[in-house]
Amino acid sequence: MGVLDKLRLDSKVAIVTGTGRGLGREMALALADAGADIVAAARTQAQIDETAQLVRAKNRRCLTAQTDVTDSGSVNRMVEATLAEFGRIDILVNNAGGATRGWNKPLETLSDEIWHNGISLNITSTFYCCRAVLPHMIMQGGGKIINVTSGLGVRASRYNFMYSTAKAGMINFTRALAMNYADKNIQATLILPGIFPHDDPQMMAFWQGGKFIPLGRPGKDDELGPACVFLASDLSSYMNGEMIALEGGGLAGGEVPTGFAPIVPLPEGVRE
Amino acid sequence: MSLEQFSLQGKVALVIGAGTPIGRAAALALAEAGAEVAVATMLPSKQEEAIVTACVAAIQSLNRKSFARTIDVTKEDDVAALVQQTVTDLSCLDILINALDLPFAKPLSAVSLAEWQRVLAVNLTGVYLTCRAVSMPMLAQQAGRIINIVSVLGERGMANGSAYCAAQAGVLNLTRALSLEWARNGITVNAIGAGWTEGMGMIADEQIKQQLTRYIPNRRLAQPDEISDAVVYLASDGTGFITGQVIWIEGGVLSRL
Repeated sequence: MGVLDKLRLDSKVAIVTGTGRGLGREMALALADAGADIVAAARTQAQIDETAQLVRAKNRRCLTAQTDVTDSGSVNRMVEATLAEFGRIDILVNNAGGATRGWNKPLETLSDEIWHNGISLNITSTFYCCRAVLPHMIMQGGGKIINVTSGLGVRASRYNFMYSTAKAGMINFTRALAMNYADKNIQATLILPGIFPHDDPQMMAFWQGGKFIPLGRPGKDDELGPACVFLASDLSSYMNGEMIALEGGGLAGGEVPTGFAPIVPLPEGVRE
Repeated sequence: MSLEQFSLQGKVALVIGAGTPIGRAAALALAEAGAEVAVATMLPSKQEEAIVTACVAAIQSLNRKSFARTIDVTKEDDVAALVQQTVTDLSCLDILINALDLPFAKPLSAVSLAEWQRVLAVNLTGVYLTCRAVSMPMLAQQAGRIINIVSVLGERGMANGSAYCAAQAGVLNLTRALSLEWARNGITVNAIGAGWTEGMGMIADEQIKQQLTRYIPNRRLAQPDEISDAVVYLASDGTGFITGQVIWIEGGVLSRL
């Protein structure tokens, strides 16, 4: 078998959470390009329907599963539906998450609700998905779990307490998975995407066109696909508990002007 | 995304230290993925020479251009001549793989200054010399991929491994610094952090291998190609946004206490 053939994911089944748009959709489509059938799990049916159309256009099967990843019952139903449709689960990408309303808030102003909802969306969701999927991966004799973290999981930024905590949690959760399930042939790895404005002019302006990033630009959505396929495939057969960071070099430095993120102006009324 | 994105057709790679198990596997994987590959020894030794010569034959049997050169990576002129020959014979240079690995273990109180300097010269200064030499063609074409292979001992300490650990950590941070220096010149600089691999110099005997196997979460050592396969990924066109990073491939050893 040639080295490039190891990338093929034919007859594999991949669940991707947060597949309605953005990087989740991008990863699902890349996995489909490599041959995998996809379970598109997200909250908004219209969005996962659109993702499913794109997957099917690549001649891969796609199951849409409207899922609230913060509800373990909903996650369990999604996994049951996957097994009913495909009979197996080879790859789980825990992509759902977001900085939500915890973004840019000093700790003293963070409500219980923002904290708990954010932690629940960003990290408890991963616990629920892994708990539901692991027994099947063990029974099948192996699997790949890919978790999505952030630059905020390894460095702090101003006033992002909930997100930084959850994303750092994601990293050590992944190590714990790696350590405990390696002997079941289950590999857990991480993708760390830097700044990806999704071609949105407003986001592009907010991130100053990425001029503070060492490479001088932000990430392009289609740069995430190859990393996801690499981690999901046999090309990374001995990688476990570790990450691929796609972030243009910010984490290698950290001193101005090569830091990871710009100093973003605070909203009105928030103290400097 | 198309899997064609991973193809290295039309690229030229240079693998230094192709006499090591990982270097040899990297050279073959790059050729399989489509690249023309020049291979060089790390030090002039009969054993390394035999491996790189056989490596060239294997690469050529895949219908890729290749040549072998015996160099001492600590010698400026050797490294410069190697890079020159690559550019002349294979027409350009897109990918540099540093698979330098001179194993060394001894209690620090017994390490002579000459031994210390030797370990740093091959493992660390060699990387500096090769990176500097390829910077000429790569900066001229404003494109390039540099991939340094390091050991988990660049991240974790080991008793009696002080010189080796220091050199490996040096390569890691050299990688980060260079990535920033050339970030706007189209050159990415990354490392692959190799776990305990079959045939690796630091694994002295069967007893150590058995201890490691018990300790590694994956319960086995890596095969050389499991490390070198990541070279193909990092060398491909789809990884332009990754720089200054280490991709650790180590069967979970860095995850555990």
